[in-house]
Amino acid sequence: MSENLNSTTADGGRVKAASTDGGRAKAASMPTPRNRGVGMLIITAYGIFAVSSFARALYQILTDFDASPVAYALSGFAAAVYIVATLALARIGARAWLIALIAVLVELTGVLSVGLWTYLQPELFNEATVWSHFGEGYAFVPLVLPFIGLFWLLRHRPGRSAARGTQA
Amino acid sequence: MTVMFLIGTLVCALSVVVCWIMTAVRDHPADSSIISLALIELYLIVYAVYAGIRQAAGASIAGEAWEFWGYIVTALMLPVGVFIWAMIDKTRWSNLVMSFVGLVVFVMIYRLEEIWWGSAL
Repeated sequence: MSENLNSTTADGGRVKAASTDGGRAKAASMPTPRNRGVGMLIITAYGIFAVSSFARALYQILTDFDASPVAYALSGFAAAVYIVATLALARIGARAWLIALIAVLVELTGVLSVGLWTYLQPELFNEATVWSHFGEGYAFVPLVLPFIGLFWLLRHRPGRSAARGTQA
Repeated sequence: MTVMFLIGTLVCALSVVVCWIMTAVRDHPADSSIISLALIELYLIVYAVYAGIRQAAGASIAGEAWEFWGYIVTALMLPVGVFIWAMIDKTRWSNLVMSFVGLVVFVMIYRLEEIWWGSAL
């Protein structure tokens, strides 16, 4: 294992050297921006949900909207929320932060209320949405995601740490 | 369960494991993570060609054809899109970002198999 590590430091050296003057120096003066590091991960997860829920909603609405209009309209709404959240999370700046916060809160409200609604009135939802049964069809990731997003946004409030990067 | 599904599951699982290990031991995007994404992409191309030939020859699938091809097109874009995104910031986390591809593509081929055969298992 250690041998393996050493051998790649040679070819990884270039990358490291490049990131030392850029990355390390930046890291010393200010913390990692909201859309870098672990933030990339959260944005990726949102991006995947944006793409897949959009594709699903498009398919559902174009093929048989009449089969389950409530579920399909909600699919479309969820897709829109994920797209807005992804774009806002990927951007730096106080306004993007606020839009992201609103989108994540709408998403949280959506998954909780639609989750509950699908249990109370299952007859309205003969076809599934992303948020049905609290995101059961997606391994409950839709239920966890807004909490992670909220946590991340509250840890990176614009006025405090990210602001230095934003104003410049 | 078809052989194609089994191979796909293995390719995805391998990619996820490689990317996770690389997240722990590298602080830059590892070649092995990138190659594992390329393998997934290659698998998806083979899967699409195989499905295309079969369906062109007149074989029917259990579900809707255009839902099937919608999934294929989305799946094909995923490794490329995530790779580009992971390269924006070349850190340890690029590897973890890339590990998402294996997880999501596995779910997508599971769905593809359901649409193709009626059941994945």
